[in-house]
Amino acid sequence: MDDPIAELLLQVAAQDRAAFRKLYSVSSSKLMGVLLRILMNRAESEDALQEVFTRVWLKASRFDATKGRGMTWLIALTRNLAIDHLRQRSAHIHDDDAMAEVADTTPRAETRMIASGEARRIADCFETLEPDKAAALRGAYLGGLSYSDLATSHDVPMNTMRTWLRRSLLKLKDCMG
Amino acid sequence: MSEHDFRPQDEDDLLAAEYVSGLLDLAERMAVETRLRNDPQFAMRVTDWENRLVGLNDGYAEVTAPNLLTQIEARLFPQPAKQSLWNNLWLWGSSAVAALAVVAYLALTPAAPSYTATLIADGGGTLRYEAVITQDKLTITRVSGDPADAAHAHELWIIAGDNPPVSLGVLPADTETISLPGVAPGQILAVTQEQAGGSPDGKPHGPIVASGALTDA
Repeated sequence: MDDPIAELLLQVAAQDRAAFRKLYSVSSSKLMGVLLRILMNRAESEDALQEVFTRVWLKASRFDATKGRGMTWLIALTRNLAIDHLRQRSAHIHDDDAMAEVADTTPRAETRMIASGEARRIADCFETLEPDKAAALRGAYLGGLSYSDLATSHDVPMNTMRTWLRRSLLKLKDCMG
Repeated sequence: MSEHDFRPQDEDDLLAAEYVSGLLDLAERMAVETRLRNDPQFAMRVTDWENRLVGLNDGYAEVTAPNLLTQIEARLFPQPAKQSLWNNLWLWGSSAVAALAVVAYLALTPAAPSYTATLIADGGGTLRYEAVITQDKLTITRVSGDPADAAHAHELWIIAGDNPPVSLGVLPADTETISLPGVAPGQILAVTQEQAGGSPDGKPHGPIVASGALTDA
């Protein structure tokens, strides 16, 4: 299997604590980046990272290597936890240092050149969307922005934003095949 | 352009896409997460969207995380297995060497969990417990939300079919391991808020603060 994270997850599912520590060392920076980008708060992200790894230990047996890569599963679990936390708090608690650390993660020209094939493919499909809709979808995925957040920032009614992005998602699906 | 532009057969796929994209509000997310546990076909649509959008993950920077393993392990493994094993050996003396070898083998062989349950609050609060049953041991961990305040206790119950709830005891810490033979998928685990020290008569009195069904791991 050419997926070292998937291998570690399978070992964690068999209650292997050494594999759990190894998994932390190889994946915690990426997952911390996900949490900071969505939660925009250092202390909250560190608490959430503990929750993420608690869940990884408890849920590793649900990981199915035939359905996707290990890192994809870890990021999905982390994003879901972070977005649930974000929705549960009434106001955003931004912390400027955390924002500075993650502010500029949009791939620049040079990083785009070395980006993964998957990233290139989706970037090409995003090109087929209208730019403001592509930006809104990207903001939703990476930052956990809801329909209501996006409607406010684009100054359109929520149903309009919903219709725009549902159309964009169907277009994206056609393009990705 | 209106909702009528979307074909009914696209609705499930759009809902999966909206969930994965992070567009939904809390109530909609909770509804999707409940459905994910009971609808494998819908879960597959979500997995498909996760794989479809995976290229966006390159947009997340790596940020060095502090080493939080000590805190995480303290949450997950409150009592080192070794100590209880050695206590057992000490109590039983040294005569039954062969039997001890078998016990030691069983105690040291990690077993995969057989059932899991996610216990969440009905009204969509933050409280969440994760339960894992491995052989006949249930480990339950509070992964988010607050513990009971000083005047109350969180008590764990198991409910099989139409039978009355059976108390599995008060949950004293973030993580608790309980001996629990003979469970089956579909049985419900529920946490109620009881008076400090737990229900005095073995019946639940307080509100259910989190609940979930056991499923095959």
